Amino acid sequence: MATDDRTDVLVIGAGASGAAVAWRLAGAGIRVVCLEQGDWLDARAYPHWQADWELHRHTDWSAEPNVRRLPQDYPVNDQGSVISPLMYNAVGGSTIHWSAHFPRFRPSDFRVRSLDGVADDWPIDYATLEPYFDLNDRVMGVAGITGDPAYPPKSPRQTPPIPLDTLGTTIAGGFERLGWHWWPSDSAILTRDYDGRRACVNCGPCDLGCPIGAKASTDITYWPKALAAGARLLTRARVREITLGPDGLADGVIYYDRDGHERAQKARAVVLAANGIGTPRLLLNSRSARFPDGLANRSGLVGRNLMFHPYAMVRGIFDRPLGGHRGPIGCSIISQEFYETDLSRGFVRGYSFQVARGLSPIASASGGSVYDRVPWGREHRRAYAARFDRTITVAIIGEDLPELHNRVDLDPALIDAHGIPAPRVSYALSENSRRMLDHGIARGAEALKAAGAHEVAFNPLLRAGGWHLMGTARMGSDPATSVVDAEGRCHDVPNLYVVDGSVMVTSAGVNPTSTIQAVALYVADRMIRRRS
Amino acid sequence: MTQGPLAARRDLLALVLDTLVPEGEGFPESGALALDHVLAMAAASAEIESLLSRLLEAVERAARGGNVRGFSELGAVQREDLLRRVERTLPEPFEALVRHTYDGFYSHPATITRLGLEPGPVQPRGHRIEPTALPDLARVAARGPIYRRA
Repeated sequence: MATDDRTDVLVIGAGASGAAVAWRLAGAGIRVVCLEQGDWLDARAYPHWQADWELHRHTDWSAEPNVRRLPQDYPVNDQGSVISPLMYNAVGGSTIHWSAHFPRFRPSDFRVRSLDGVADDWPIDYATLEPYFDLNDRVMGVAGITGDPAYPPKSPRQTPPIPLDTLGTTIAGGFERLGWHWWPSDSAILTRDYDGRRACVNCGPCDLGCPIGAKASTDITYWPKALAAGARLLTRARVREITLGPDGLADGVIYYDRDGHERAQKARAVVLAANGIGTPRLLLNSRSARFPDGLANRSGLVGRNLMFHPYAMVRGIFDRPLGGHRGPIGCSIISQEFYETDLSRGFVRGYSFQVARGLSPIASASGGSVYDRVPWGREHRRAYAARFDRTITVAIIGEDLPELHNRVDLDPALIDAHGIPAPRVSYALSENSRRMLDHGIARGAEALKAAGAHEVAFNPLLRAGGWHLMGTARMGSDPATSVVDAEGRCHDVPNLYVVDGSVMVTSAGVNPTSTIQAVALYVADRMIRRRS
Repeated sequence: MTQGPLAARRDLLALVLDTLVPEGEGFPESGALALDHVLAMAAASAEIESLLSRLLEAVERAARGGNVRGFSELGAVQREDLLRRVERTLPEPFEALVRHTYDGFYSHPATITRLGLEPGPVQPRGHRIEPTALPDLARVAARGPIYRRA
């Protein structure tokens, strides 16, 4: 087996967190090598340049690896889960596909046990992460507007907010009539040229990648800076396992290169940034006499406490065109009226409303995220005409509490193209989440009707909604109840770090990427401090 | 399959697609616009080809059971009624056909144009959004902090 030169730090995964940590470490003069199982993407090959762009959403550009089935993907057995995990394998990871909704966790999200008596507190808090939120915002580039009373004061956003347009103004009117909180979303999408990148031209389908670089994905934000600082990035390099030295410390990995050859990469420290499913998969597949149940798994918690954000979708139909095909697909408005705990609602913790843009022509026919397909036959024309460009969809993103039985483990039979065991996901929706989503559906319908919708439909749980993969190598002070410490180091293997969504102790009721990247930058700084 | 049966199969499929998405409501185009897309999907996937063959055989079988020579001899209402019977018999293949039909029909340039959109790639043109003043957030901001200090 060929062995590459030993490096200071080996990062596994080139997505949201791996890119951030590689940039920060390389900038401090640390020799960094990153292994990524996907490849660089050519933005000139994105579907937006083709007339049939929308068809690609269901095939080679699907967010589901089990649908996409590209060579760089690995299968996920999700038969035991009510939510399908979504991810993308490339330089940039799932930031290629994301809609770039960029809220931060709120201060209370780090103190869930103390405030509400459920889940656990994080060993770090909002104030600790605040400078890293700001740093990350500057690298990614955020459109938004300060002054949102749902958050402590933030630094100025890099560009003005995404335009609300007719659709956003309409639903904002509903929130206004009800006297509820709403605010233009913080979005990692530029509305002005910034840092050598172009402003958004409102083409719409951000979920198929951004062909002009207006949406932040780490292949165009962090990676050019990390490479300029000296980091090395090897693509089409799939890691099979993390290896241990005789001292019980991680000493590198075994991986398959783009030609399928087995290689070893040695390192003084290893950083896992392979997402909330890929990271526990690798740890569980790295078994040894010292760690027979998987690396860094003496707690038995690797893969446990998997959190998605359960999504419910409410869609209103209006009697006038809303121009919903214009503008970034996922970002318009956020409402956090029902975010903090109020036990009179029948559940603990809370949720956000996210307002997406309208549905494109095919999605209008297939029912979009509500899944209610337009009928075929004589009724089709009338039903389609009533719906096309006349819908607003409000997503309810609920806080998912950690539960031991929701987990990732290794499938006993399913393997990837290199023979590595595939992950198996077991996930059931909790009663608290169900009550939370039901509350959100009723309130979302209220907002849509207040905005003028004459008909409302809903999907009680979005199956293809597993964008956020969290909790499977949780952070904590106690080695018996957590996998990594407050600085992202594995309790059992102190030169092995985790920086992706796996470390999240709780999930909050907002998209996690901003917080995941802030944690990654914070961990990188702790590594730098320890080294010096 | 020889040219004759191939053409007949194509004609039958076109009629089925026209029944799924009939013309009307200002739309002279109909489901047969999706014909090439559906056939391309079937050509690319043995699974889809198999489903499509089963469906078309079921359609013709059901039509002949009604004492006509085939689906093409039925009127529009009878065709729809017949397809609803086939849908009940073969729900999953039928649903797949409907979705492929919608995919093909609503990605066709003629349909896109009829919907009032510009056909073709969405880049580099994008969409113009008229600049407007920032929204009035005074009421929301006036509430003061709504987050819990922790």
